[in-house]
Amino acid sequence: MFLYIVKRVGLGAVIIVIAIVLLYGMIHLIPGDPASIILGPRATPELRAALAAKMGLDKPFPVQIATFLVDVARGDLGTDVFSNRPVAEIVFSQLPHTLALIIAAITWAMAIGIPLGCYSALHRNTMIDKITGVISVGCITLPSFLVALYALLVFAVWLKWFPAIGAGRTGDLASQARHLVLPAFAIGLGWVGYIARLVRASMLEVLAENHVRTARAFGLPERVVIFRYVLRLAILPTVTVIGIGIGFLLSAAVFIEVVFARPGIGKLIIDSITTRNYPVVMGAVLASTVLFVVSTTLSDIVNAILDPRIRSSLR
Amino acid sequence: MRRDKFSWTRIPINRRRFLAGAALGAATATLPRIAWSAGDGVVKGRSYADWGQSDPAFSTGVTDEEVHALIYTKLIQYTPGRSWGWQLDSAASIEQTDPTHITFALKPGIGWSNGYGELNAADVKYSFERVIDPDLAAPNKPDWGTLDRVDVTGERSGVIVFKEPFQPVWNITLPYISGNIVSKKAVEEAGGRLGPDAPTVSGPYKVKEHRLKERTTLVRNPDWSGPRTDFDEIQIFPIDDENTAQIAFEAGDIDFTRVSLSSLANLKASPPAGSTVAEYPSLYYVWVGMNLDNPALNDIRVRQAVQYAIDVPAIMEAAYFGAAKPSTGIIAPGLIGHREKELVPPEGNLAKARELLDAAGASGITLTLDVLNKATNVTAAQVIQATCAQADITIDINLRESGDFWSLGDESKGDGWKSMQLILNRFSMTPDPYYATAWFTCEQVGVWNWERFCNAEFDDLHKKALGEVDTAKRAAMYERMQDLMEESGAYRFITHEAAPVIYRDTIAPALRPDGLPLYRFFKKA
Repeated sequence: MFLYIVKRVGLGAVIIVIAIVLLYGMIHLIPGDPASIILGPRATPELRAALAAKMGLDKPFPVQIATFLVDVARGDLGTDVFSNRPVAEIVFSQLPHTLALIIAAITWAMAIGIPLGCYSALHRNTMIDKITGVISVGCITLPSFLVALYALLVFAVWLKWFPAIGAGRTGDLASQARHLVLPAFAIGLGWVGYIARLVRASMLEVLAENHVRTARAFGLPERVVIFRYVLRLAILPTVTVIGIGIGFLLSAAVFIEVVFARPGIGKLIIDSITTRNYPVVMGAVLASTVLFVVSTTLSDIVNAILDPRIRSSLR
Repeated sequence: MRRDKFSWTRIPINRRRFLAGAALGAATATLPRIAWSAGDGVVKGRSYADWGQSDPAFSTGVTDEEVHALIYTKLIQYTPGRSWGWQLDSAASIEQTDPTHITFALKPGIGWSNGYGELNAADVKYSFERVIDPDLAAPNKPDWGTLDRVDVTGERSGVIVFKEPFQPVWNITLPYISGNIVSKKAVEEAGGRLGPDAPTVSGPYKVKEHRLKERTTLVRNPDWSGPRTDFDEIQIFPIDDENTAQIAFEAGDIDFTRVSLSSLANLKASPPAGSTVAEYPSLYYVWVGMNLDNPALNDIRVRQAVQYAIDVPAIMEAAYFGAAKPSTGIIAPGLIGHREKELVPPEGNLAKARELLDAAGASGITLTLDVLNKATNVTAAQVIQATCAQADITIDINLRESGDFWSLGDESKGDGWKSMQLILNRFSMTPDPYYATAWFTCEQVGVWNWERFCNAEFDDLHKKALGEVDTAKRAAMYERMQDLMEESGAYRFITHEAAPVIYRDTIAPALRPDGLPLYRFFKKA
């Protein structure tokens, strides 16, 4: 198991380096002069040249990327050209908000979706199963930004149960939790349906396997059969999908962070790309890439723990 | 097949437990209302972006200035209201003694917080001169125009000296971004440039907390000895989307925001309870520019045909929801040099456009129109496309992302400018006409003058107007400059847009004539 984890983490590190090189190149290929955009119309050619030099844009591309990688290895993500703040400080101030949003969204989606999927599988072809199916597919098809807008109108504007914007007061967990409810609801609703359908399909597949029939033949209680022999296997695809889903949630978080005026990595990337604030773009993209790789690595490790056959795949 | 007997409904619940749970849920649901209600001493406003740093020399514009205006003082500051004007701030007196000299005296007792002493003339000298220091490379250097130096004549008095007369100093330099005074001692301790946080403040407020991209909280500066402000606390929320800001207002999360033009009619018809909608003119200017050096537009008759083919009132209805008015030039109403009337009527003249095209032998011409990919611009471009089609001009719209768009006419970025033909452009503006005309001089060709309009009379007037003390004469110069622009056929002026705002009836906002907030003067209603 230890060897598996080491290999998986090493693979993750390689993926991060490749992703950084590719993203760095792609970002710099976008048309538009960062110095002009950052300084605005009042900038003189001298000021633009000075800013370009400060951002390292006057150097050849291979030198820029090499410098960036060396700096990252030293823990230096550079400096924001607008505020003169260290990029690492900016990124780490935004990252917890996005993490909290994603974790809250996926947690409530799993809390509802997994039991819903199990219930549907165990009551296959009943009216409740069909209704659950319709609701699940309905949830999947609803775009998160639309859910966000209606959630805002109903729960923030009309009922005034939850705040519309922001992430809550510093140090006040209750306030932060209240500010998290609507964004997490909006971003997680589609995942409720998705997880429910996935769990249902996996459960039906596993329920039909020989070892389940054998377990029942031995007279094991149904609760034991379901939790120990069915759900444990049926949950594997869900764990994998959730790992990959972190990446999709990062994308969805951009809309949600804009609609709820929440701080976060997604919004930071969009704002920084618009202003061609390359140091911040790279810092934020690096953080989201690491987040994505870590989540997929963790899901692989969890899968390996649940299913020993997977551990041998990297040998 | 065996039927599954697993049950998910073995939760020990009865009627009493259910009712108790429901009661608890209802009680919890009411809690947020109590928790969110802002105290009387707090006002919550919205800014379209987060402010960045505490050094005015590197201010990126309005968002930084909203905070800087609260934590620093200037010699003079804008007066809230419907017409542009200024009032004294840290200056006890200020006077233009001749076209190149301004003498000032500071009020006594304005202190810097955290033990940085009293604000003095040396601070003023340092604050202004550092902006024009080439070594600092401050982007706001042009604000100071022809500034030569500041002479300190006493502990609290001095003279601002210009190499040549520079009248915009009264409208956009002293009362705005570059007029903020910093503590010489604090900046020098910081290594010559202030960072994200101000080590000391001299204004009525100080930053209590800046949560990046979320909220800035300002509280009273206990060392402030000036007039007492109404609010104990000011919170500024960076919300870039106007619709989100409107929802936040309706949810009670903010007290003041600008709203979108698309929702203005509805808001005016039925404003949210306890709120007021007010309309302010904006200073922005929008126009369709034509590249004079593009072969397809060499003939002035073709350019004039485009001018006459564009129906500006139709654009106002479709893209601005009838909330904005056609502009007569690049200088908005209320500013020195605003033209009362344009040369080409706003609604255009399709027959005349066709006539001009025929005379130029260019009937059926196809032109490209580059547009920034914002909804308002795209709609405006589509209207332009439709009305030009009626004059036998085919318009191909090129949608551009912001970074791409803002380098289109820049010569230093290659030869892309050569193929550019028409462009729908929009520039921001400050309350002095110099700031508008500065981008259309010969020196700016290929930099920000993407029409490549170069006129000796225009350049001469631009220089002379900078130093003209007589307001009427200065206004006439700027009016003539806009005539020259329009006569060249390279410009079709569209609008100055509009800046509607909404605020809660519990506050009396203090706004500049263009609708931007001056939080320091906000009052309780």
